[in-house]
Amino acid sequence: MFSLHNQLELRKVTISSLITCIYLPSIITVISYKGILYSVGNGSSCYVLALIFFAEILKSFYLNSSNDVHGKRNKVNKNKAGDILRGFVFMLCVKFAFFIGIILFGAPVLECHEETLMLSSLLTLLTIFPLILHTGVETSMQLLFGVKNYGRDTVIEMLVNNALMTICGAWLGAVVIPLDWNTPWQKWPIPCYLGAIGGFLLSNVLTVLKVSLMSGATKYPILNILVQLLNGCQISK
Amino acid sequence: MLPWIQHRWTSLCLLVAGFGTLMLFLYGFFPLKYHSGKLSSIDDLPNFIDGISIDGQQVYNSGENSVILMVIDGLRYDFVTEEYMPYTGQLLKNKSACIYVSVAEPPTVTMPRIKSPERKKEKAQWRRTINFWRDIFAMMTGSVSTFADVALNFGAPAVRGDSVLRVANARGRRTVMYGDDTWLRLFPGLWTESDGTTSFYVTDYTEVDNNVTRHLEKVLRPDNNKEPSFDFLVLHYLGLDHIGHLEGARSPKIKPKLIEMDQVVKKIVTAMQQWDRNGVLIVCGDHGMRDAGGHGGATPSEVLVPLVLLRGKDFECPHPVGPGPTVAQVDVAPSVAWLLNAPPPGDSAGRLLPALLPQDTRQHLYLLHVIAHHNAKQSLPTDTEFYKQFERAEKQFAHYLVTGQQSAAKISKEFYEESLEKMAAYLTGTTTEFDIFAIVTAVVMLYLIATSLLCVTLYSFQPDTRRRDSVSHHHQQRSHAGTIIAFLIILVISNFILVTACFITETKSQVCTFDPPWILAFLLLSIALTVTYFLIKTGFERIKDLSPLNDLNAIDYLLILGTLFHSWSFFGTSFIEEEHMTWYFFWNTLMFFVLVKTLMVFTLYVSKLWVGATEVQDKPELKLRMANVGVGILPKWVLLIALHRYLRTMNQTGDRWLFLPDTADWLNAPENSMYLQAHLVIGTLATLKICLGNLRHMNNIVHIHSGFTIAAVFCILCYRIASGALDTPLIAANWDPVFIVDIFWAILIAQFAFEFISYIGAFKNCGLKPIETKTPDSNKFVYNKPKAKTEDYFYDSMIEEPWNVDEVKLNFVRSASYIMVNDLMLIVILLMRPHNVIMVPSIYMTCVLTSQCMDHKLLDSKSIRKTDVVDVLSRTLVHMWIGIVFFFYQGNSNSLSSVDLGSGYVGLRAYCPARVALRMGLHAYAGPALAGALLFAAIAREAHSWQQYLKTVWRATNILSLHRIYAVAVYCIVATVFRHHLFVWSVFSPKLLYDFVATVFSIQALVTIAQIEMLAHITNMLARTFTYKSRL
Repeated sequence: MFSLHNQLELRKVTISSLITCIYLPSIITVISYKGILYSVGNGSSCYVLALIFFAEILKSFYLNSSNDVHGKRNKVNKNKAGDILRGFVFMLCVKFAFFIGIILFGAPVLECHEETLMLSSLLTLLTIFPLILHTGVETSMQLLFGVKNYGRDTVIEMLVNNALMTICGAWLGAVVIPLDWNTPWQKWPIPCYLGAIGGFLLSNVLTVLKVSLMSGATKYPILNILVQLLNGCQISK
Repeated sequence: MLPWIQHRWTSLCLLVAGFGTLMLFLYGFFPLKYHSGKLSSIDDLPNFIDGISIDGQQVYNSGENSVILMVIDGLRYDFVTEEYMPYTGQLLKNKSACIYVSVAEPPTVTMPRIKSPERKKEKAQWRRTINFWRDIFAMMTGSVSTFADVALNFGAPAVRGDSVLRVANARGRRTVMYGDDTWLRLFPGLWTESDGTTSFYVTDYTEVDNNVTRHLEKVLRPDNNKEPSFDFLVLHYLGLDHIGHLEGARSPKIKPKLIEMDQVVKKIVTAMQQWDRNGVLIVCGDHGMRDAGGHGGATPSEVLVPLVLLRGKDFECPHPVGPGPTVAQVDVAPSVAWLLNAPPPGDSAGRLLPALLPQDTRQHLYLLHVIAHHNAKQSLPTDTEFYKQFERAEKQFAHYLVTGQQSAAKISKEFYEESLEKMAAYLTGTTTEFDIFAIVTAVVMLYLIATSLLCVTLYSFQPDTRRRDSVSHHHQQRSHAGTIIAFLIILVISNFILVTACFITETKSQVCTFDPPWILAFLLLSIALTVTYFLIKTGFERIKDLSPLNDLNAIDYLLILGTLFHSWSFFGTSFIEEEHMTWYFFWNTLMFFVLVKTLMVFTLYVSKLWVGATEVQDKPELKLRMANVGVGILPKWVLLIALHRYLRTMNQTGDRWLFLPDTADWLNAPENSMYLQAHLVIGTLATLKICLGNLRHMNNIVHIHSGFTIAAVFCILCYRIASGALDTPLIAANWDPVFIVDIFWAILIAQFAFEFISYIGAFKNCGLKPIETKTPDSNKFVYNKPKAKTEDYFYDSMIEEPWNVDEVKLNFVRSASYIMVNDLMLIVILLMRPHNVIMVPSIYMTCVLTSQCMDHKLLDSKSIRKTDVVDVLSRTLVHMWIGIVFFFYQGNSNSLSSVDLGSGYVGLRAYCPARVALRMGLHAYAGPALAGALLFAAIAREAHSWQQYLKTVWRATNILSLHRIYAVAVYCIVATVFRHHLFVWSVFSPKLLYDFVATVFSIQALVTIAQIEMLAHITNMLARTFTYKSRL
């Protein structure tokens, strides 16, 4: 799916994925060493979200930076404040949609709002936020509703893939909740929260793996089989 | 064998065969030794030993004893040492007490996991009682209990048969119980004095024991004659088990608790020494515990428990100091019974504890004889070695009685003991051993049936042309006789295979005994084997073109994979207990998939409209897709998701979160009765509206049908008023609910009869002319062909079929299906609890909306010419899912305790097992039944021709029965693998029963559809005979 013809984009994708593969595990490692991994659902763990927020912004700077089409850049600069505002409003809407969706999916209705909100914020941050940063509100909306196809844009493809994997991770995380192991991490929203992070991470790892395999395949054609395999694993339709 | 695979009802036959196989499996899984419930009496004691008379009662007499049974929950064998229990250890060391290794039958008691608030208390108690049952049952009745004991005592978990307490009571002994109140529920009315403590609060491990100990002082104090005030005292201490559950067997709290227990032992022993009477103290655990806490497996630390025996005075343990001999848990019962001067309980299979046997040779031998005689009476086979041994022992005993030779006594004793050991092993073996041969045969058979159903289903998915080809192709090839010969040959071969299997495995199974009734079963089995062989063979040969399945979309895959995977999830016990979670999860995923898909189509459509349809080639197709459902589908779907979220909160079910308050609790609170009534009325009226809406699919005389329906709903409301669920300011109602329900039944039957007769055409002459049809696609029917065509073959009409038979049949089937749906909805509304009534219109709305949204023409971007196969597949599966989801919304679970017994008695004056069971079943399976009925009604509605209807029904029934058998087959494997699991009683076996009932209902549903088809033919025939003549 990724094409080799745009080396620049491919490099950007790889490096940003690599950054994710480094910063996310380190956050998780640090908080689990501190022994507060199981409090990720509480409001007190906002700093995780903040960290992810800044990391994603930095990553998007990198992703957008060399996208040097002059006219586009001017256009972006023109109404930056308005863009940011609209982005925030859009994100709030998405967050609210996630919130409602999670509750409809079976989260407690009357209590645990804080936890559900944290989960929905995380999902927003990991799915929509990078897309908005990269493409802006309109395009991401169009992408969301399937009006626009992302075609051959490698970066957007990666972002959409990440988003889908994140959702799938959160979805799969819920599987362990009914088990009767009575462990502390079976409490709502921890499995889903960690599942989302895991899905996001897995998606990034797969991206890095695929790009490296693809570059290896130029030398050793046998690796192409693995690339095909990985392509088959992609969820995006 | 092609006609078989083509026949429409092959799947039904296979389903019935699967049901039979399931019965075989159940036979193997639940050992069929029911406790006879025979009560023993002191006069049963044998007075003749091989013809030599002996005064049984006098020899049997054990003197005056006071027995104290002290059960310490979770007492493990290694806890009774000097380290943990110094006093007891000391007693063991100087041989004033005996210790035995007692073997509990796994699975042992499970942990009470539920802290139950008020309303759920009953359910939780019941669940726990089952778990407790086994140990107490073993100790008190002397026999190992089976699941059948529990299942047959449905709802009233008291021990019906004989027990130590019953015989003691019959002998006028005073029995006292302090401890867990399960004892009181198991043996109601048999206690002279008792104080039960509840053990639900697992975190409490001091108060439960203090509640027991506080009575000790009083009860142990001897009265004026220096005799205690009781004959049999049961003390049940729960604290140790609770600590084990909380912190494990290595907890620092264990030691103080054991020392506390030790103090209790000391207190009892000291008190016993002041009595004039002989006191006997038995200290035992009912099960052990794992190091990690908890229990229930079959590991030594859980199954081996100590049994300490201590007699008040002049008692020296005959066994050397050490771990002590092994006894069984069931040995407690006859021992205690003897000490209380009562005969061994009727079903007891235990022996006497060796240390209790008296020194006096005559009495000793007599006791052995009594026990052996008792065991031998329990339908032991007389041709076995141990029975012969018993007879030899009896002879020697008689010889001793006559001559007094010690050598004879010695031989007799040896023989008795040998024989007793084997007898006890045999008796417990027959109760607990699974019939592995039957189980394995059944599982293999189920898999074969599932495979052949798969073949049939796939075959039915093939497009028409292919099938017709193979028919003609086939008919030329083989003759009739050849088929029969082939069948017979395979039948002989399968018989041979089965017989060989019997002999190779050397099984003791009943299946291989070749008794007359079993021969029949054996033959049926081999016939089924042959049939499945031919079906699978034909399937492999004939299934070539599965191209329709290429059109499956993501949602179909989700449906198929979800259904397939779900059966395998049962390998985790939690997924059985919380099965509803899996279904909710799947169902939500499905709803969101559909939402996303619909959203995409919707936005595409709207944006194209907005832009102004510049792409001409795209628009008509899109419009066509949207035209069927309209723009309103999206908000409707979102509302449906919200509705499902609400319904989900209605009843908490499963096991782990059962105690959480739910909407039903809130609605049932007295202060919220207004909302409850609102739910009831809204649910009923919505159903009325739906029913009236359904009437348009029935025949021409709509107004009469409307009258019937409204009357029926009125009856339901009256019933609700009469039963007090609905307050009315207008009428002070003291009507008879039973009478109202009778009227309700009468109305339903009248409606059906009316429809039937009107199709025969009997009303034509009575002036009830059908309203003239205006629109061509309405469901009004006429028997004659339309006028325009009549002209053409007016003259041939004698030769040709003058009526449009097929259309009328289709019409009849349509209206019969809808009558079925309407009646079912009304009946279910009548049976449902008030807060659940809202489920019925919800099911209808869900089914209708889902069918619209999941239409392949709407969702798939690529246009497919023929979607009928995939449509049938997805629609059948989704209706099944809806049914199951509502099954759980309604508050059902895989535990027997969630069966609503109340619904069985609606409109009944007296208990009638068949009717009550039918009502309970219909109430429990209301969701699946309604969803299935709606599926078949939708099929009938959308069929364009009689042939198409038949074909669609054929496919749908194939899918349904395939799923049923598949689920059963997988679950049978799960149950077989986990047959020794801790939860086999509380989780696996109830689920098996649920599967059994579900299979029965599936058969019932398919038979109903078959009946409707049959009725269509009958009506046609009757109409021919009646109307034909009257018209011409």
